[in-house]
Order: sequence, then structure tokens, then C-alpha cells
Amino acid sequence: MSNLNWNLYERTGLLTIAVLVVTPLITPGMPAGRRTGSNQTSKSAAPDRWLHIRVVNSDSKGETVRVNVPLELAEKVLPTINKERLQHGKVKIDQARLNDVDLHSLMDAIHSAKDGEYVTVLGADQDLRVAKQGGQLLVHVLDKSGNHKSKNSQVEIKMPMNVVDALFSAGKDELDIVAALHALSTQGDTELVSVKDKDNTVRIWLDSKNLTE
Amino acid sequence: MILAKIALGIVSTLFVAGVYVLREGVMRLEVDDYHGNGSHVHVWVPAAAVPIALHLAPKQKLAHAIQEIGPWLPTANVLVQELEKFPNADLIDILDGENHIQIRTSDGKLQIDVREPDQTVHLRLPLLGLEDLTSELEAMHAASETSEFLAPDLK
Repeated sequence: MSNLNWNLYERTGLLTIAVLVVTPLITPGMPAGRRTGSNQTSKSAAPDRWLHIRVVNSDSKGETVRVNVPLELAEKVLPTINKERLQHGKVKIDQARLNDVDLHSLMDAIHSAKDGEYVTVLGADQDLRVAKQGGQLLVHVLDKSGNHKSKNSQVEIKMPMNVVDALFSAGKDELDIVAALHALSTQGDTELVSVKDKDNTVRIWLDSKNLTE
Repeated sequence: MILAKIALGIVSTLFVAGVYVLREGVMRLEVDDYHGNGSHVHVWVPAAAVPIALHLAPKQKLAHAIQEIGPWLPTANVLVQELEKFPNADLIDILDGENHIQIRTSDGKLQIDVREPDQTVHLRLPLLGLEDLTSELEAMHAASETSEFLAPDLK
């Protein structure tokens, strides 16, 4: 084998190795650091925030729905959806359905008020509590219309005030869903919604795990 | 000597083409029907071939399909780009008796699995190839808006 041929094979070999090494690095659209591992958090970057929704039906078939959505993904995708009331990540509020209640004024009042319980209704069929505590808006509903205590329905909503503020930060007749999601991404691990009744359990919570527990 | 160089050129071209195909990944569709005699359809398509196939498809039919899905293409494109940042994640899991639907990303592929008592469907779509596809379709949709793509009767 001549020197010329040998040099050619050597160069081809080196080129092959270079292509194999460089190809994963120049792959467009996919950062190299995120291509391999299941854990998306690097040491320097903030951990990804995930919104989890779990619905468990306790009937004989035992239907279970688990949805895990990265908040970053929802923030980027929502503005691209322009359908009916949802436009550019904002939802138009139908004033006719609000019976002339000015939601923005109501939220301003709650925002400027001190911590405490604002609404307490204790009824024969239903208890309702609305409170502001530790920078969170809390709503608790207990439906007692079931015949037995175990058949009562219970709803707990815990919404950070900065998320509520972001939600109402758009125009008068709009809810800014993207701003609310962005505000939510700055929150620590927290349970947002919990609904329990005799047949169903619904949980919506926020954490940094990409898998449902 | 010349033959050896030609052979080397062909091998190098095939190698580069192989690397490109591997980089884009392979789209897999497996449908297994267990009804009666049943049918088993397993399709493997290199993702790199899909944008090429789009250019070879009948323009009239493609134009109609692009018009239908056009408004959703920006959403699909952003969704795929964002999913690439989460190469291993369980996104949706629905279990209803013997029916099970899973949508997740695994090793940079979008996986959709549907298991029913009489049928199973498994779909594997490399996100990188999917991004190229949605970008290509978006470009075609944009071209259709400026009459570069659509036939006059579809405008």
C-alpha cells in the first residue's frame, strides 16, 4: 500500500471520527446538555417547574388520569393558540355572566386588605370559606348534601396572591393565563387544588419532578 | 487506483447519508389488531425522508391538507421545540379499566402508546425529525398564503 493511499485512509478515518464526535453537538434545536439525561436540571440552571393534574375515579373500573405539564412549555405554547376566547395567552371574560361584578376591583380590594377570613358561610348543605393568609388566597368548600359524612364533597383551592395578581394584570375584560403561569413558575412546591368526593379525587400541584408520584 | 477512490467516495457519501438519517431518527408506527385473524402493521420510516416525501406528494391534495391544519402549525412547531427540552418525561397517562393511553417523551422521541383489549398502537416520532416536518409544513403554509404554492382554484 502506497504512502498516498495510507494518508487518504488516515484522513478519512480522522474525518469519520470528527463527524461522529461533532454531530451530536451541532444538532439544531436541542441543547447538548439536555439530549441525554432524564433529569433536565443542570447545576447552574433553575429547575424546571411542572404542573401535575391527577384525577382518580374510585369506581369498579378505577379510571385514572395523570397529566404532567412543564410550565415553561405551557408558557410558550399557549400564546400560539388563538381560538374563540383564548387569544395570545389571554382569555376574554364574558361580562354578561359576571352579573356586573367588577372582578378587578374585587381583586384590588382583596390584594390591599390584610390577612384574614373574608367570607364564611356555614349552611345546612354547604360550608364556604374564603380567606387570605400568608400571601395566598384560600377557598374551602364543603358540600354536606351527601347522606353520610364519607359522601361529602370537599374542595380546597390555594392560590398564591402574585399568581392572582398576574392573572388580572391584563385588560379589564381579560385574564392573562401566560402571566399567571409565569408567576406560578416562581413558586415553590405547592398543592393548588384538591377536590374529594365519594367517587373522585382531583389534585393539581406544582413541583420540580417530571414524573407523577 | 481510480476505482478505489470512486469506491471510497461512494462509501463516504453513504456514511454521511447514514449519519444524517440516524441523526434525524426513525418514525415507527405499529398497529396490532387482535380481532378475528387480526392484522399487524409495522411501518418504519426514516424521519429524514418525510420532508423529501412532502415535496413529492401531489401538490393539490397537500395544499388542501395544509390549509386544514395551517392554523395549528405554529402551535405544533413550538410544542415540538419545547418538548425537545424534555427528552424523558411522562406527559399524559390515562388508565380506564383495560384501556391504557400513554403519551411521553423518551430519549428524544415522542411516544404514543394505546393499549386496548383488542388492539394496540405504538407510535414513535423523533422530535428532531418532527420539528423539521412542522417547520417544512409551516413554510409551505406561508408560501400558500403568498400564492407560491397553491393552485389557483384553491385560493
